Amino acid sequence: MSIAEIQAYGYFFLTLFMVLVLYGYIYHLYTKKKDADGIDYEKYGNIALDDDIGDAPVLPVSKDKEK
Amino acid sequence: MFHWLEKHPFFFAVGVFVTIAFAGLVEILPNFAEASRPVIGTAPYSTLELAGRHVYIENSCNACHSQLIRPFKSETDRYGHYSLSGEYAYDRPFLWGSKRTGPDLMRVGNYRTTDWHENHMKDPAGVVPGSVMPAYRWMFTKNADINTAYAEQLTVAQFFSVPYNKPVPMKDGSTKVVKMGGSIAEANALALEEAKAIAANMKDQDVKDAVARGEIPQIVALIAYLNSLK
Amino acid sequence: MENRPLEYDYTVAKMFMLTTVLLGIVGMLIGVILAFQLAFPELNLVLGEGLAEYTNFSRLRPLHTDAVIFGFTLSGIFATWYYVGQRVLKVSMAESGLLMFLGKLHFWLYLAVVVAVVVSLFTGVTTSKEYAEFEWPIDIAVVVVWVVFGLSIFGLIGIRREKSLYISVWYYIATFLGIAMLYLFNNMEIPTMLAASPAGETGIGAWYHSVSMYAGTNDALVQWWYGHNAVAFGFTVPIVAMIYYFLPKESGQAIYSYKLSLLSFWGLMFVYLWAGGHHLIYSTVPDWMQTMGSIFSVILILPSWGSAINMLLTMKGEWQQVASSPLIKFMVLGSTFYMFSTLEGPIQAIKSVNAIAHFTDWIVGHVHDGVLGWVGFMIMAALYHMAPRVFKREIYSKSLMATQFWIQTLGVVLYFSSMWISGITQGMMWRAHDEFGNLAYSFIDTVTVLHPYYTIRGVGGLLYLVGFLMFAYNIYKTMSARPVEESELQSASPMGA
Repeated sequence: MSIAEIQAYGYFFLTLFMVLVLYGYIYHLYTKKKDADGIDYEKYGNIALDDDIGDAPVLPVSKDKEK
Repeated sequence: MFHWLEKHPFFFAVGVFVTIAFAGLVEILPNFAEASRPVIGTAPYSTLELAGRHVYIENSCNACHSQLIRPFKSETDRYGHYSLSGEYAYDRPFLWGSKRTGPDLMRVGNYRTTDWHENHMKDPAGVVPGSVMPAYRWMFTKNADINTAYAEQLTVAQFFSVPYNKPVPMKDGSTKVVKMGGSIAEANALALEEAKAIAANMKDQDVKDAVARGEIPQIVALIAYLNSLK
Repeated sequence: MENRPLEYDYTVAKMFMLTTVLLGIVGMLIGVILAFQLAFPELNLVLGEGLAEYTNFSRLRPLHTDAVIFGFTLSGIFATWYYVGQRVLKVSMAESGLLMFLGKLHFWLYLAVVVAVVVSLFTGVTTSKEYAEFEWPIDIAVVVVWVVFGLSIFGLIGIRREKSLYISVWYYIATFLGIAMLYLFNNMEIPTMLAASPAGETGIGAWYHSVSMYAGTNDALVQWWYGHNAVAFGFTVPIVAMIYYFLPKESGQAIYSYKLSLLSFWGLMFVYLWAGGHHLIYSTVPDWMQTMGSIFSVILILPSWGSAINMLLTMKGEWQQVASSPLIKFMVLGSTFYMFSTLEGPIQAIKSVNAIAHFTDWIVGHVHDGVLGWVGFMIMAALYHMAPRVFKREIYSKSLMATQFWIQTLGVVLYFSSMWISGITQGMMWRAHDEFGNLAYSFIDTVTVLHPYYTIRGVGGLLYLVGFLMFAYNIYKTMSARPVEESELQSASPMGA
């Protein structure tokens, strides 16, 4: 097998892999409503809206630091 | 990526970096050495030509003139043979340009003369009516920087093995040796010798006088460079 | 004093707002001069024969591009980062003396580099590589500035209260990493002062001169990998960062789909870098790279439109805001221009179209509908939104803002339409043959025919500059306008008549 052939195979499988990852990711996002922390993805959009320094974070960095 | 990365900035940054670096790794690294082997007939730039190239760069000639002939009939009819990768082997940096406000200059040495350039650089619209190119009259009084060109020759010879003082094969089967001086004085003498040949074909008396005094105006270096583009 | 409530500290944001406006004026003014020089070459001597060297088209051209990219746009990116960063991470720069110091250091170093660049380009000290014209001493300074910027970003993230990074922050991080990688690799060069002659002389010639590590085709490949992606990480990614924050905030609508933003972000990151090859179609780089550049350019429509559509859908049910607020107008038209130029780009990257478009004014037109319509509008909108909040005063004049919007929109339309016509005319004339197979036109025919379009383009650019001066005036007057209450600053920005 020449180097060009290896490159070609590598390229083919890489493309295949990428397509699978992409569609897998789209499917994942489409079906899951909440992320691993149990928070609705769309809630994170509020970070931009409630952004005063006194506003409560959507997900605080550390629970125990908050009162 | 499954919204874990977005909460862990370090891994997020790593993820982004890998994603964006990936294309470069696949696209740019392979075949990197392959592209730059000089084709037969391509010789390194002489000291004066290189100084002229610096004048070309200093004034961003590449902002309006390309040095890349694409493989179309309309382009080869107008500018000559289409460009080959190896012809650029000694071009650091490359000067392909991205815009043709003026014509391509890849092979301008084949169809323009010293005399033409002299008149054109003084008054472009006088030579080509309707031209929007500005005049470059200061090049007739300002001197070229030969020392920097020499330093660049030394650098490329040392780091990139550019074959100065070595025979380089030409298209007709002969060989050509591009000389590089052994000292600053010698490099200047070589450049002046070349400049005299150019100035002999020029009309501007001030330039001729300057070269006779041992100075090299920018225009002389630039014309040497343009004439070398073939 | 002790019990004063914690507030966001906008000191550094204000500094960068100043350079955004100033360098914007400089860059655009030079642009207008250049445009008219092409239409009326006598203008090359505008300051007389003695200064011809410095008022010449070819000297000014790199100054224009660099002033707009690294002056106006980069300042805008920094200004918005020092504003948005604090807010979406819910942490004030006042909480960390170190971050405050870094921010100010960032500004002053940046300013020093700007001065050095202006001097060096005026005197013709350049490496000739587009958007990477700086010689090695400035390159090193740029790297230092960039590292300080990175420390600022990650420092602020390090002390954040909000665990999850907001969409805009992803894009800012990507900007930082992308530019860092591209800039380093493209500017690999060897200073010629290191060379020694056989006679033993050292330090020969100009100390600032250098020679590229790459030659010819490789140099071109690296340069356009850089050039294309400098556009990606300078004109696209950070501007997307801005719109993801400022449009939702100003309109009071949360982003339409957070999930779509996730997908577009990773899509954009992956795809963008591959598309650089489209600058080198029909050149001497390997054919497969050219084809790859074409294909990925077309794929790039997907993530680009993902973000743009997300923006437009955010306005769903709130379109009356577009009519009532000139600030929203800027952002909505900006994202529309973004969609437009991310469609135009891939079209130009198709090989057969590129054969006509490459080297012509159409490319210039494409760059400018993106930069004037998208980048310029978005940065101005961001500054308009920030002004009432950092100065705690209402925007001086709403009607001035609306007038500016229409003047600039007209300017952009004149600019790109004239460049389309000019570019396609030129491309077609270059390749035209007569019945005997000879070239139909000499080169100069294809130059003189463009005169009317160059004039129209100049007028378009002038209108945009006039609008920008109105913007500068509006921002300046805002600093002395009516003070506003805290409650007025929730979403829509307060504006005077």
